[in-house]
Amino acid sequence: MKETHAVYSPGTKAARAIGWIFLTLLALLTIFPVLYVIFGSFKSNSELLVGGSNIFPTVWSVANYIQAWQQANFAVYTKNSLILALGVMILSLVTSTMAGYVFSRTKFKGSALLYGVFIAFMFINTGSVSIRPLYELAVKLHMNNNLFSVIFISTGTGQATYIFLAKGFVDSLPKELDEAAKIDGCTFFQTFYKVIAPLLKPVIATIALLSFRQGWNEYVLPLVFTMSNDAMRPLTVGVNMLKNAGDGTAAWNIMFAGATIAIVPMILVYIFFQRYFMGGVAAGAVKG
Amino acid sequence: MKKTKGKGSASPKASGKEKVSAILMLLPSTILLAVCSIYPFIWMFRYVCYNYNGFKATYTGTANFSRLASDSTFWKSVGVTFEYAGLKILFIIPLALLIAVILNLRMKGHSVQRGIIFMPTIISSAIAGMIFTFVFATQNGVLNGILKSLHIIKSPVPWISSTDFVMAAVIILAVWGGVGNYMLYFTTGINGISEDCYESAKIDGANGLQTFFYVTLPMLAPVLKTVLMLAITSAFKDYESIMVLTDGGPNNRSMVMFLYIYHVIFGTTNSSAQVQIGYGALLSIVAAVIVGAVTVIYLQLAKKLDKVNG
Repeated sequence: MKETHAVYSPGTKAARAIGWIFLTLLALLTIFPVLYVIFGSFKSNSELLVGGSNIFPTVWSVANYIQAWQQANFAVYTKNSLILALGVMILSLVTSTMAGYVFSRTKFKGSALLYGVFIAFMFINTGSVSIRPLYELAVKLHMNNNLFSVIFISTGTGQATYIFLAKGFVDSLPKELDEAAKIDGCTFFQTFYKVIAPLLKPVIATIALLSFRQGWNEYVLPLVFTMSNDAMRPLTVGVNMLKNAGDGTAAWNIMFAGATIAIVPMILVYIFFQRYFMGGVAAGAVKG
Repeated sequence: MKKTKGKGSASPKASGKEKVSAILMLLPSTILLAVCSIYPFIWMFRYVCYNYNGFKATYTGTANFSRLASDSTFWKSVGVTFEYAGLKILFIIPLALLIAVILNLRMKGHSVQRGIIFMPTIISSAIAGMIFTFVFATQNGVLNGILKSLHIIKSPVPWISSTDFVMAAVIILAVWGGVGNYMLYFTTGINGISEDCYESAKIDGANGLQTFFYVTLPMLAPVLKTVLMLAITSAFKDYESIMVLTDGGPNNRSMVMFLYIYHVIFGTTNSSAQVQIGYGALLSIVAAVIVGAVTVIYLQLAKKLDKVNG
């Protein structure tokens, strides 16, 4: 062949250039609202209320953050968001890797059925109604005034995807590993814990990030559980409460700062671990 | 006890002890499943015939059903849901496919472009709704500010407070937040197409468009089918970001059914109107059946198309 991949006719070149410009414009449009909020969080409230097309503040100031942190309880919200996200992550990791391993390696009466029920509830969607009985249950068990119940429920509604990912990964590991471990005298659990779990690192990373994101971004569930309890609110709920409080326009500066506090940690995690996020989403879709 | 097998041979059936540990290891996730998924599902049916406000439940026979039949707000919200889902899919799928195809040319900076376009999917839909409240604000929103300085509009557009524009605002938010996901599904699908197909298309002298329509698209058909199903099921259940952006308003113009149900079960944000959990449970079942029916109809259609093409 005369032509290689790198040589293009003028027509193709123009088409590629148009494609590149299109994607760049799209990327700019995508990132614009995020940058607008991040830069806007350094503006004064009066500047925000005037509006206009400027995205950079005329005078940079961190006063909004100080106000949000000291007066608007954002220190507590941030702590709650961290507890929620880490809690969902740890609980999801423990339950889904164990379940994924068992579903991959053993067959017992009803195991296929049980796995089917897990997967079925990935698709049955009844919306917010399921939070109601769980809230009433939590009240009965006096569990409605701590974040553990929210962690528990969030994990319960998200775990099917993670079990599915973990099972898929264990399926790809050779069974000889288990047998060798057995010969060496490992019990079933020891085989999982000492031999298989260390090999699950890539899928553990994916599940950790996806479940951390899920906990950090949870909204309606903590909203219902913290209706009357400001000290338990995560950032997502706390920021939106400002929006509904009062006449709504008064505290734009604090809302901008709050929204920034809510998104920047997640964006940083995303920048560092991008491929695991994308890998997880892709694996979930293709196998599903 | 089961018969023990010789060491080293693969044993398809678990021994008794193994079984116990297997069940113990499954226990945590099974308890979570039972409490968080199965229990609420069954609970939902319990109050269908009751008027239940969270404290007191009174049996009302078929009152909830006759209310459902005449609840124009709910049926309007069903219409809005179809409009929302239809428009979202109409914009998001072709756009995501186009992005994936261009990204696949692997031009300079493509991984940065991909990274940015995927980024909104990691942002909470509640915060995304809030960010767009700022962007779409009528008087001091940045979108109107930019449109004004470009002389595209003279007076500010009431994006969120007018029934004419609110769906546009909601759809823009939905596409912004979701296109990255679908782009990634298509990218994965395209990566699965063998390089040979493209080589032979090239030898046959196909240009870019021809390659897309005669190689990429047909080879992507199975992926497209799955992606469309995911898009349908997720578009019908969206309501968090709409709740923050418009809360269904103005005049219920952007009220999707799951948002209406939230209001019935938990009350609206600014009013302490009495909650009606029994009626909300009935609405939830109806909504789930509607989504299920749409999915089944789609799957049947996809099957028929397969037969026509194959």
